[in-house]
Amino acid sequence: MLSSEKTEPFDALDRLSPETLNRWWTRRLKRTLQIAYAELPFYRNRFDASGFDPARLRSLEDLRAVPISTKADLLAAGYESVVARPDAPMTVSVSSGTAGTTFVMHTKRWRKLQGYSSSRAHWWAGLRPGTPLIMSAPAWHAYASIQPAIAMHFSCPCVVVAGTFLPHFADRIVDAIRAFRPRFLTMFLPMVFSILATARRQGLNGERLFDGIETLVVTGAPITPGMRLHLQEITKVNRVTELAGSSENLLAVDCVHARGLHLVPDTCYAEVIDRKTGAPMADGERGAVVHSSLIASGSLYLRYDGGDIGIIDRSPCPCGLPSPRIKLLGRWDDCFTLGAHTLLPYDVQLAMESDVPELCGTAFVISKDGLANGILRLLIVEPENLIAGLRDEARSRLARHFEVPVEIKTVRDLPLRFKGVPPILSESEAAAVV
Amino acid sequence: MTRTQHLEEYRFYRERMTADGLPRPWNLADLEDFATEHPNDPFAGRVRDGLMPKFTLQLEATGDPSIWVALEPAELDRWARVVARVWERWGASPGETIAFFEYGSSPLVLLASSGYVGYLRRGAAERLGLNAICNDGVAAMAERMVTIIDTLRPSMLILRRDLAVPLAMALEASDVKLGDCVRWIAVSEVEGAISRVEAERLRARFGVPVWRILRSDAAFLVAGECPICRAFHLDRTFRAEEIAGHVAITTSFAKVCPAVRVDIGSATLLDGGCAAEPRAQRLEC
Repeated sequence: MLSSEKTEPFDALDRLSPETLNRWWTRRLKRTLQIAYAELPFYRNRFDASGFDPARLRSLEDLRAVPISTKADLLAAGYESVVARPDAPMTVSVSSGTAGTTFVMHTKRWRKLQGYSSSRAHWWAGLRPGTPLIMSAPAWHAYASIQPAIAMHFSCPCVVVAGTFLPHFADRIVDAIRAFRPRFLTMFLPMVFSILATARRQGLNGERLFDGIETLVVTGAPITPGMRLHLQEITKVNRVTELAGSSENLLAVDCVHARGLHLVPDTCYAEVIDRKTGAPMADGERGAVVHSSLIASGSLYLRYDGGDIGIIDRSPCPCGLPSPRIKLLGRWDDCFTLGAHTLLPYDVQLAMESDVPELCGTAFVISKDGLANGILRLLIVEPENLIAGLRDEARSRLARHFEVPVEIKTVRDLPLRFKGVPPILSESEAAAVV
Repeated sequence: MTRTQHLEEYRFYRERMTADGLPRPWNLADLEDFATEHPNDPFAGRVRDGLMPKFTLQLEATGDPSIWVALEPAELDRWARVVARVWERWGASPGETIAFFEYGSSPLVLLASSGYVGYLRRGAAERLGLNAICNDGVAAMAERMVTIIDTLRPSMLILRRDLAVPLAMALEASDVKLGDCVRWIAVSEVEGAISRVEAERLRARFGVPVWRILRSDAAFLVAGECPICRAFHLDRTFRAEEIAGHVAITTSFAKVCPAVRVDIGSATLLDGGCAAEPRAQRLEC
């Protein structure tokens, strides 16, 4: 990839300058906020309580006056945060988490607008007309409501795999890939490892399984640079792209330069803010990802803090796309303190691949019991070709990196659903699921 | 059956044509045999060579070899219309919610909404003005199904057979009363239908009417149990014939992947219609 390589624009929106895009965003946000104020008691009450008047929004900076909403707020609001005609049939997607189950209402209009916006994201990721598109999200997931529209936008045949997207259905996905040879594939990260494992049992290596696939889009977890290289190496797919999204409308995707994920502008506007002060974070500094939907139809999320930690980069991208780039790194719920550091599993994975490149791509679990004792204890799946002494070397390098004691325990295997995403588990939990 | 003259263009049917211009009735085992002999043809000879229709679906009932069926958009729409008519017979009113405890790949889910599958213009729920919500079709999601019932108050529930017991247990462990909102449950089986005895048992456990769904994805068949006569009423798009104690189905809308004389197994065609639909073909199995 050349450092000057440009992203082919999807439409005129991609040709805007960053400044013009900001003005476009301001207009769209103003319209959305006005609809929210006019139609939704949940937002009207909050705007009134904080003295915010949507009609006075003049710039993106003015958006900071809009109160932050959380999952708990929206769960309590129920239908008071849904823009819909009373008689409009909706599909409802579901997401679960520690704060409770979220129900996201999708109208046909939402699906149309979100579908177009997501088509833009997939265009940036490399999807082009005609290739068979293997549907890769279960019907309960918001992404499932979008994929049909993407397939239709690009006139791609829809391939529906029987069952659901759990490791024991991986053989079905392998069959689909082998039967229809797509050029573009989207997959939740842990499922990539599941289908590779299944293919291996069938005598196929990653290169043969992914033969003909030009772009592999992974989603559902942040990937480190090393994980991207690892995926490229085991699949021989030229372009491995990360797509990040949430049921509540956040959408961002890598361009060819893979230096952060460009916000998809017609879906959402996102900020990264200090969770305590609400002040915007400087480029590259970690904060809470707060996003606002630009589609005033169905469930509406405005300045929504979904619990993600991320960074933003507003500097120009060589690809020419005007929107800033973000990178989701994990969730506040997964933060842990070790010595003087507050860390995410992503940080451990990053340190592993930078300080111990020999273990890049190795699946591991962070022991909760270790953390409780101030020790970074990792349960790793020992690579087949582990060099003698590497485990000790890895331990000392990681101890230097984090300035805490490190222990590494090798295990025979880890469940496929954890591969690519290091979870924090107690050792009894880890043993129970192996 | 004028269409059968073209069936020779489909490799699967070519081998099955008889002197009277009709293919021999066939079942899933025949399809699997063909697929095993032709491993490079995902459609097992039922789609013209080289054609890639806009919608393809992996049959859940066949794993190894994997077999796919296909439809073009207009056919998908007609299939969804069949599903809408089934729900309508059980009672569905605009503004109500239908919930699925099923895989998203089940035709019963896919055909519910244009939000679940590409190229479907109007899904069954959209036709009837219903909201649709699908939970994942695995037992581990039974508790979430209870949350869905408790929060969204669906009036109708499509339930995968193997999830009936996990759902009943999850409901019993909660204080959620299904009968407070759900008016009927329809239970689907991957191929065929559950027995009346099992339906009655589930009715007793859930405390709401439980209807049976007859399904054969290879034939694109979806039929619902009639609340009056308790037999399966076939939509007018399906034509059934009884052959030696079995019933074979021909589906008129399936053109790109024809379903002609698909043997769905042991069943009986009943004489005449019933009061609910005097002209409907009915079968019992």
